[in-house]
Amino acid sequence: MSEMWINMGPQHPMTHGLWNLRVKIDGEMILDVDPEMGYLHRGIEKISEDRHYNEVITLMDRCCYVAGFAWEHLYILSAEEALHLRPPERAEYLRVLCDEFQRIGSHLMWYAAFVQDLGLMSPFLYGMRDRDLVLDLFQSYTGARMTYEYMRVGGVRNDLPPGFSDQARKVLDWLDARFPEYDQLCLGSTIFRERCDNLGLLKASDCVAHGVTGPMLRSAGMKRDLRKDRPYAAYDRLDFEVAVADGADVTARYLVRMEEMRQSVRILRQVLDWLDHHPGPVLADRLPRWLGAPYAPIGNEGYLLKRNYPKGVGFSAVEEPHGEAQAYVVNDGGEHPYRVKFRSPVFANISAARQYLVGYHVADIPPIMGSVDVCVGEVDR
Amino acid sequence: MASATLYSVSYDLSSALLHGLGSILPPAAASVVTNSDLIVGLAVLIFAVILLAASMINTIVLIWWERKLLGRFMDRRGAMHVGYAGLLQNFADGLKLFRKNTFQPEEADALGFYGGPLAYMVTSLIIFGILPISSGWNSGALPLTLLLALAVFSFAPLFIFISAWSSNNKYSLMGGMRSAAQMIAYEVPILLAVVAVVIVSGSFNLTTIVYEQQNYWFWGPLVVALIVFVAGMLAEMERIPFDLPEAEAELVEGWNTEYGGMLFAFFMLADYLRALVGSILVVLLFLGGWTMPSWVPSAATSFPLAGIVWFMVKTYIVFGLFVWVRASLPRVRTDQLLRVGWNRMIPLSLLSIFLAAVLVTVKCLPVFGCVPSMGV
Amino acid sequence: MQPDDLSRALGPKLGDGLLSVEAFPGTAGRVRFRAERALDLFRAVRDDLHFGHLSMVGGIDWVDHREVFYVAWSDEARQYVFLSADVPATAPRIESASAVWPSANWHERETWEMVGITFENHPDLRHLLMPDGYVFNPLLRSFKLHEPEELEVKARHV
Repeated sequence: MSEMWINMGPQHPMTHGLWNLRVKIDGEMILDVDPEMGYLHRGIEKISEDRHYNEVITLMDRCCYVAGFAWEHLYILSAEEALHLRPPERAEYLRVLCDEFQRIGSHLMWYAAFVQDLGLMSPFLYGMRDRDLVLDLFQSYTGARMTYEYMRVGGVRNDLPPGFSDQARKVLDWLDARFPEYDQLCLGSTIFRERCDNLGLLKASDCVAHGVTGPMLRSAGMKRDLRKDRPYAAYDRLDFEVAVADGADVTARYLVRMEEMRQSVRILRQVLDWLDHHPGPVLADRLPRWLGAPYAPIGNEGYLLKRNYPKGVGFSAVEEPHGEAQAYVVNDGGEHPYRVKFRSPVFANISAARQYLVGYHVADIPPIMGSVDVCVGEVDR
Repeated sequence: MASATLYSVSYDLSSALLHGLGSILPPAAASVVTNSDLIVGLAVLIFAVILLAASMINTIVLIWWERKLLGRFMDRRGAMHVGYAGLLQNFADGLKLFRKNTFQPEEADALGFYGGPLAYMVTSLIIFGILPISSGWNSGALPLTLLLALAVFSFAPLFIFISAWSSNNKYSLMGGMRSAAQMIAYEVPILLAVVAVVIVSGSFNLTTIVYEQQNYWFWGPLVVALIVFVAGMLAEMERIPFDLPEAEAELVEGWNTEYGGMLFAFFMLADYLRALVGSILVVLLFLGGWTMPSWVPSAATSFPLAGIVWFMVKTYIVFGLFVWVRASLPRVRTDQLLRVGWNRMIPLSLLSIFLAAVLVTVKCLPVFGCVPSMGV
Repeated sequence: MQPDDLSRALGPKLGDGLLSVEAFPGTAGRVRFRAERALDLFRAVRDDLHFGHLSMVGGIDWVDHREVFYVAWSDEARQYVFLSADVPATAPRIESASAVWPSANWHERETWEMVGITFENHPDLRHLLMPDGYVFNPLLRSFKLHEPEELEVKARHV
């Protein structure tokens, strides 16, 4: 066979979303790649400019369909900064609770998709089964399994239902017992090691140069986690380790994500303990009225309060399950944000595709891209 | 029932049918319908229909068996809704595929596109037709059954490649290339492993091979050959961990990407038919076919059709092992597969031939007993 | 790192290319610079201040002018720095950062198609999220939503 371009996407089992990986191959070897994005572009940044601050949260859930909470949190942090608000402490812990459960859910989804790409059939179902337990928990206090709309500028929408922490601890115990099983199915398999060791190598220096963050960066031996380096919400009051590995390959990324799930379980136990003993309000009082009820006009004059509301900018960064997400919110004193800009970690991770794909086999594309953990919703926004 | 063979049953049926027809027809017409050639012809037809029905039903039940087993491995229940425990689910799926529109890609080559699946299906059916399933199924039909079965088995890469190439799709082409490379690489160790069995049993006739296993089944002394044969069969059947010709993660569906509806059903059926044939060959060559060890109480082996029942039980257990492998292993890569095939499997199969030669020389093994007749 | 540290380190290098350094929430500071001196600033920020990781590039349309902003992270300081430059709305162009930080590549492609800022010497300035041949810049204030009839016209690719 001579050289040819093939389109892996936009409808292709490898992509896990709508995007197109153009691959130039010679036989089974990859000579060049060119990711094409934009199939899922919904203009979230543009739509946000026409929405009230709390209405943007709805869009954030759609930003990444497996990590809605992380994106809600990201936006909320920068919006609060732009609007000069502080949430109550209990809300911060609740956000950490959401984030970490979301991290477990997202990593389980990743695990399921990744092993499926490798041809492992049963662990796919195991991952999805256990992710469902996490989604059940989300459903119990947000009413939704995927698009939660739970966080609010200035806090969160509601407190946990009674009995939640017992249920959550049960889930955590179950997950703790499952992790060795997952490892056995992957690391215990010679074929898995043969497939994944020294695959998709991306050194730490290349990661930094190409903006790669998250588990991919940590798998290259770089200890960088915004939860530690630049603590937000309640992370500075919680005890956990940053998961790192030094292989810089697919196996190392697997190890990092598995360790992150274990650390998330550890964080969640602390958060649940704290929440059990510290009742309190979950939404800041003295919120601007148009923020609390964007559709309710005040008197006959519409949204009056915007006039004497201070201008400001908000910049926030959170450690999303996929990497470092950033948001920049510009508030020019109106009831809508003037400009909202998001930085998606997967966007940067995919942009470096040429660095970690070229030189491998066509059959290596699914495990490598699987180890990147692509979520197209947040790339295209 | 031991004396009745499948052919004799169909001959009796044919003759009874035609004589019954003759008795109600006028004498001139009756002499035509009771003509012995016609009786033989109808007998062959009935024989073929029974074989076809048996193979198809077994294939579909095999799919059900796989779905149920996979379900259990995955902590779910598998198909449950159509029929008892979902037994009829695959018949429903088959009917759905029947009703689907078959379409041909614009640039595809019609002859190869339609002929490929047909030939693939037909060759797979041929193998099933010549395999002995019990002493009365089609014993002694051919002296070189084993050789013929393996020869027909190895047609497959040709037809797969033809259909892949003629569907004019890059993914199909890559899948076809992989399939051809893989099947050719694993033909050799399979044949060499079979040679070990042939050396010990002294025959290419599958019926003889089964009877040679009266004292001990060959899986014990020929365990190396068994390992090579099963691994090779997994590759030939294109099942995980060797399913890379249709690795759906990167090649969409591999060589049958462009096929839909009934043509896809052909491929699917033929794949499972080959899986069935592979399991049957393992049972015939290594697990004593329809015979049971002497310590099994005779009540369990002497009821009518006991041979077929035990044979199918063994076949489904062997296939269950294939499913187990599928449920727990990831897929290998082409170069790894070929490296294992050429570098590991062939030396192993040569070792198995050597072991078989040793076995034939010493004639008796301490645990297993003696080779009954050492062939002819 | 404080805004003062930034201006002390960058001032001598850039001279009048550095407009101001001010405090910016959540970062080491916000550096405003002249668009013409972009490449010098990028080099100084990366090599002297060790902000090796460019994480975000974006643009804002302030109607009378446009703003390009960059966010970079330093592994030594464990901090972000915010860089921004104003470019005129009539000729929105600035030197590409991708020679300094390869990660700028896609961010600049996105900013180019969304806010209409041309990045000079960019290795691969193609459409990223929008289809090829799309002539509008959706994140400009002049691109209005809520007008379905107009949108239909806009959606037609040229």
